[in-house]
Amino acid sequence: MSGGIVLACEDLCVGYRGAVLSGVGLAVEAGQFVSLLGPNGAGKTTLLRTLSRHLKPVSGRVRVCGRDLQAMRAIDLARVMAVGLTDPARPPLLSVFEFAALGRYPHTGLMGRLAPADVAVVMSALAAVAADHLADRPVDQLSDGERQKAVLARALAQEPKILLLDEPTAHLDLKHRVEVMGILRGLCRSRGLAVLAALHDVDIAAKVSDRVMLVKDGRTVDDGLPEKVLTSAAVAALYGFDAADFSRDLGGIELRGDGSAGRAFVTAGFGSGAAIFRLLAKRGLAIATGVLSEGDLDAYVAQALGAQAFVAPRTGGGDSLSAALAALETCDFLVDAGENGGEANRRILEAALARGLPVLRMGRADDGGQGCASLGDLVAAIDRLRG
Amino acid sequence: MTSLVRSPAALARPALSQAAQRRFLVFCGLAALVAALMLANVRIGSVAYPVARLWEALLHPGAADDAGFILWNIRLPRAIAAVLGGAFLATSGLLLQVYFRNPIVGPFILGISSGATVMVSLVMLTTLGLGFAVFSPYLNTIAACLGAYGVTFLVAAIAGRVKNGVTLLIVGLMTGYLCGAVTAILTALAEKERIKGFVLWQLGSFSGFKWVEIEVLVLLGGALLGGIYLMSKPLNAFLLGEDYAASMGVNIRRFRVLILLLASSLAGLVTAMAGPVAFVGLAVPHMARLSFGTSDNRVLIPGACLMGAAVTSLCDLIARMWLSPVELPLSSITAFFGAPVVIALLMKRGMKG
Repeated sequence: MSGGIVLACEDLCVGYRGAVLSGVGLAVEAGQFVSLLGPNGAGKTTLLRTLSRHLKPVSGRVRVCGRDLQAMRAIDLARVMAVGLTDPARPPLLSVFEFAALGRYPHTGLMGRLAPADVAVVMSALAAVAADHLADRPVDQLSDGERQKAVLARALAQEPKILLLDEPTAHLDLKHRVEVMGILRGLCRSRGLAVLAALHDVDIAAKVSDRVMLVKDGRTVDDGLPEKVLTSAAVAALYGFDAADFSRDLGGIELRGDGSAGRAFVTAGFGSGAAIFRLLAKRGLAIATGVLSEGDLDAYVAQALGAQAFVAPRTGGGDSLSAALAALETCDFLVDAGENGGEANRRILEAALARGLPVLRMGRADDGGQGCASLGDLVAAIDRLRG
Repeated sequence: MTSLVRSPAALARPALSQAAQRRFLVFCGLAALVAALMLANVRIGSVAYPVARLWEALLHPGAADDAGFILWNIRLPRAIAAVLGGAFLATSGLLLQVYFRNPIVGPFILGISSGATVMVSLVMLTTLGLGFAVFSPYLNTIAACLGAYGVTFLVAAIAGRVKNGVTLLIVGLMTGYLCGAVTAILTALAEKERIKGFVLWQLGSFSGFKWVEIEVLVLLGGALLGGIYLMSKPLNAFLLGEDYAASMGVNIRRFRVLILLLASSLAGLVTAMAGPVAFVGLAVPHMARLSFGTSDNRVLIPGACLMGAAVTSLCDLIARMWLSPVELPLSSITAFFGAPVVIALLMKRGMKG
């Protein structure tokens, strides 16, 4: 696939009467998936509607496949650009096939008769979104997920180079959300389709996009590789997060505990603590944990949850154990995630037992503390502990 | 570069032919029904003639017997007018339903027929028309179409601001009432001898059609229908709403004006000659959609024409014959068909939320 620029704008200003979003610069290449992220009302839809020529730009110009958008004939534009809107168009007595076949509009003659080649394109578009089995179903009787597939199939039947989507995963359940995004991702790779989508899910956007564009307060905040742009701080600032954190390394949102229910120390390592951290945070507990090795999954999860994590650098040195032991002084109880290997973890456990702190241990508790056979038992034990 | 992979399996579409078969059967059935109803309308009347006698009169238009006179001057024009009027009103309603993306609209309920009525009343009740030819089917037609345009574009402008379908309905009804009020005032002020003709016209009837009027209907209406049929493709794109239609290459601004002009021209044309006929434009497109099982306008435009012709012919037959020799107003019969359809649609919509 050639990487030519199919959609570009520079210093574009969009809006209805006044500008909603200004100074937008964009260059989408063939085969690229670009996500627009931002809070509600940031102007994502307005930008998309301007790029699809449903709205005139307040100022600035848009170029589609090297041509000036405003000067293009409607039919020429329709041959290179298709849209998927949030508006649930579902006319009665129209099969999914007929619905998708309407996408052939710019390619058929005066009466819109489908040639065998057109039928093949429509069927292949339905197959591409895994909706071929829906072909004969009435479009007004589809579930949200199925209808979204029909919307995509209609857009693909148009055989566009550029696909503009406004919240393609809105109202979809997790299965369809993942499926639809996977399909779009695949279309970019296999057909060189350029997708520009306004999305709500930062974590999904981070995983499928080649580029993300963050918009807030009437301007572009950042633009680039999601791995680079979507830092924890950037996402928190974009949506005005308070009690949550986006973890770039984990690719998801973590909800912090507010610490109102007390403070727990967790000895963990090698992934044994991640589930326990989340479980504690959900119950409103602040977390301290250590000593973790650098690069341990537990360290990433703990940081995303805002825990105080004591991490031993890979190069050695530092005295994270002493710091951890000091932190243990401020904790109400200790949870041992059952990772028995580390010398440091053993020292912390002994210190807790010596101080008479309640100790809950995953697995057996032969040398002190209370054993919990499962996470369910652990939850019950924590609840008992806190009355 | 973006061309899709074409697999041979994707070419098989057996379900389509089944639907095509059904559509063909419904077309044939409707055409036969229209022919039968036309025949009934010509044969049945206050004076009953055997078919052979009518056939004789039909083949010899010049013959000066009473059967020939009744056939050529009363029954045949009326039967043809009912067929054409029904077809035009149904098509007008279909266009409006596509335009407003609202199943509960039609030329009558949106006040378009009332708009036409006001303008016709200006011609028939006042001396405004006297400056032109004393009586001309064109004058009434032009006046009715102008009135229809006025209301259509007014309602469309309001619809651009309110997105709620039921509100649109109320706007149409209110516009209709306003036009009705103007008509009533004009009637009150008019000279007595002008009123009778106007009141009869206003009840809605296909009686008393002259051949020159039929000619106007066929020529003008035929041209409009042909134009509308050629617009089936963009009309189908419109089913998905304006935004999608625009993104598929429809020149929305031009097309919007065109739909409204064509829909109100058809309604105005019929109203000018037959008076306001209620509910045909609203109910028939639904009957066509359900019996053809599709929203495809390439099927629905001819389908609604046939269905409208059949329904209107039947209603006209009932209006003439039910309490014969008293002739009932056509709109009261069509309302019996149409009003329940509106209520059923509103209830269905209400249940969907």
